[in-house]
Amino acid sequence: MIALDCDDDFATWRDQARVLLGHGIDPAQVNWGQGPIQDLLAVADGLPDGPGPFRAKVPAELLAQLQLAARYRGEQRWNLLYEVLWRVAHGDRTAMLAGDRLGSELQRRIKQVTREAHHLHAFVRFVPLPTAVAEQLQLDLVAFHEPAHDILETASGHFAERLGRQRWLIATSRDGIRYDGKDFDYRRQCPPEWRQWAEQADDPDADLWLTYYRHTFNPARVNPDALRMHMPGRFWRHLPEGPLIPRLVGLARQGKQRDGQAQEVAEQGGKRISVVTR
Amino acid sequence: MQLIAKLGILADAAKYDASCASSGAPKRSSKGSDGLGATNGMGICHSYTPDGRCVSLLKVLLTNFCLYDCQYCVNRRSSNVPRARFTPEEVVRLTLDFYRRNCISGLFLSSGIIRSADYTMEQLVRVARLLREEHDFRGYIHLKTIPDADPLLIEEAGRLADRLSVNIELPSDASLKRLAPEKQVATIRQAMGTIHRGQQAVAGEARAPRFTPAGQSTQMIVGADTSDDRTILRNAESLYQGYGLKRVYYSAFSPIPDSPDSVPLAAPPLLREHRLYQADFLMRGYGYKAGELLSEASNLALDIDPKLAWALSNREVFPVDINRAEPALLARIPGIGLRSVQRLVALRRERRVRYDDLIQLRCVLDKARPFIVTSDYRPALAETRSGLLRARLRDPVAPVQMGLWG
Repeated sequence: MIALDCDDDFATWRDQARVLLGHGIDPAQVNWGQGPIQDLLAVADGLPDGPGPFRAKVPAELLAQLQLAARYRGEQRWNLLYEVLWRVAHGDRTAMLAGDRLGSELQRRIKQVTREAHHLHAFVRFVPLPTAVAEQLQLDLVAFHEPAHDILETASGHFAERLGRQRWLIATSRDGIRYDGKDFDYRRQCPPEWRQWAEQADDPDADLWLTYYRHTFNPARVNPDALRMHMPGRFWRHLPEGPLIPRLVGLARQGKQRDGQAQEVAEQGGKRISVVTR
Repeated sequence: MQLIAKLGILADAAKYDASCASSGAPKRSSKGSDGLGATNGMGICHSYTPDGRCVSLLKVLLTNFCLYDCQYCVNRRSSNVPRARFTPEEVVRLTLDFYRRNCISGLFLSSGIIRSADYTMEQLVRVARLLREEHDFRGYIHLKTIPDADPLLIEEAGRLADRLSVNIELPSDASLKRLAPEKQVATIRQAMGTIHRGQQAVAGEARAPRFTPAGQSTQMIVGADTSDDRTILRNAESLYQGYGLKRVYYSAFSPIPDSPDSVPLAAPPLLREHRLYQADFLMRGYGYKAGELLSEASNLALDIDPKLAWALSNREVFPVDINRAEPALLARIPGIGLRSVQRLVALRRERRVRYDDLIQLRCVLDKARPFIVTSDYRPALAETRSGLLRARLRDPVAPVQMGLWG
């Protein structure tokens, strides 16, 4: 058994996998671990010497797919990729197609990773910093987000497209990224001060968005299961509207809502409009 | 009145418009430049409200003062609701603030009719112009179009917005006359025609200025009158064909406070709206005709989805051999979607497709099983009568709690 560690880094894994493939090493003979102890063992005597005799050709499309699937955090993260690579390199292309058991798992991981990038684009919430602080930190917007897969580095470019010259940062409990209006600064370990700025930003204008959220909701159509399906509960904690959700569901369920209007509007005085001539 | 109070009233007044899509816009970016905003064709749902609907755009009315008296509308002039009016600058401020926070991908602006159709339309256009020209806003803009407005104003709106929509409101002309006396089918269709011609004028001209690149849509209210699903879908089909619409939205009539006697007091089942969307998707994505989906009944079945319903009444087409059939026919098998069809076609180029492959593809086999043949499977139930199959495949119906107020 060959024990390896690639420090959850795709380029390292690819180099290791290329050597293994060159020596014709069966996926059952190799294991990528994720702990520091296995790391010590692995570097010492894990990988065979030299590139090996077998020259494998694989479609370029496969490499792109492996790179995407490598961002998936989960069991057998790197072993699975090698098994797919090994089978395709030996002529079995079904290993990368949905339908095949292994191919389906590969495609499922790709889908999860893509979906998580989409969640980042959707559910990141920036807080604008007040002018004085913005000048001091050279930052306009800060956000804290918790992605389930390693997508922050590749998926954050989206915000540079959206936000023009604004300077922003996104902190997570693992990595972090900062943009100064021109360049990205990605850190595999998020600096603690970034995290602190993002989590403790003061937001005096937060009420506008909460007001909009309350009023665009139609209580006559309350359907919290559909909400949960599209916006999983794990994101609510970092969304300003998160704490409102159970309250709005509760109000709608109490039977006070027989029509779509929010209670606050119903309580205000109304105004009928008279038309003199038409 | 404070901005936040106006926002409450004017968001509440706008929630009955179903559309919140931000997809279909061309690629735009503000990376490294002045201004704000990007689009790339993909819509983003930034939040979901507890009604399960997506929040993609800031959806507000410029004002809910209105001269019209459409019976189904909470903002009709005889309705006793609080009224407010934004200035164009206020809408701009809210749009930019929410956009920077990543709460929205753009603006969907509509309005009650004040003074005249032209004046109202001018105000909507002014907001879009401020956003695009003063603030270099490259996010998504959807403007509701006032049917009686000057075609020149509609054309101007089309150059600024990604999407324009004119609401058809009700499925039949008679209902529109009865419930929305100030509106006319003729002018609604004229406005749709103006937008469609604007799109055709730039189609295929790569360097022409864009005109509503994300297309035109409309909304039909379901359950405010007695029109059946056949009338609704035939009307939708004619709109898709006649004006090249991107989407028809179906909005189950939502009971409004202080409801007039001319409209029902209760909402139609939301399931009806859902079935209409499914049928609409089958027309747009799968090539079904409205007539095929409603050849026997005049309303879509509520207990089974329209694709299954079609398969059950066309048993002579099935079972379909997954290894041989044309993709278009594969897509007509209940429980197998367009994505699965693509994947099956890719897989069968490599080898014969087996039953287990369908499980791995997560096809809905309970539905598909009676209708398919694979290299290792033939349906034993092929002879089962459609009536029995239908009883077996019916969606479980959630128990309905009795209403306290009947």
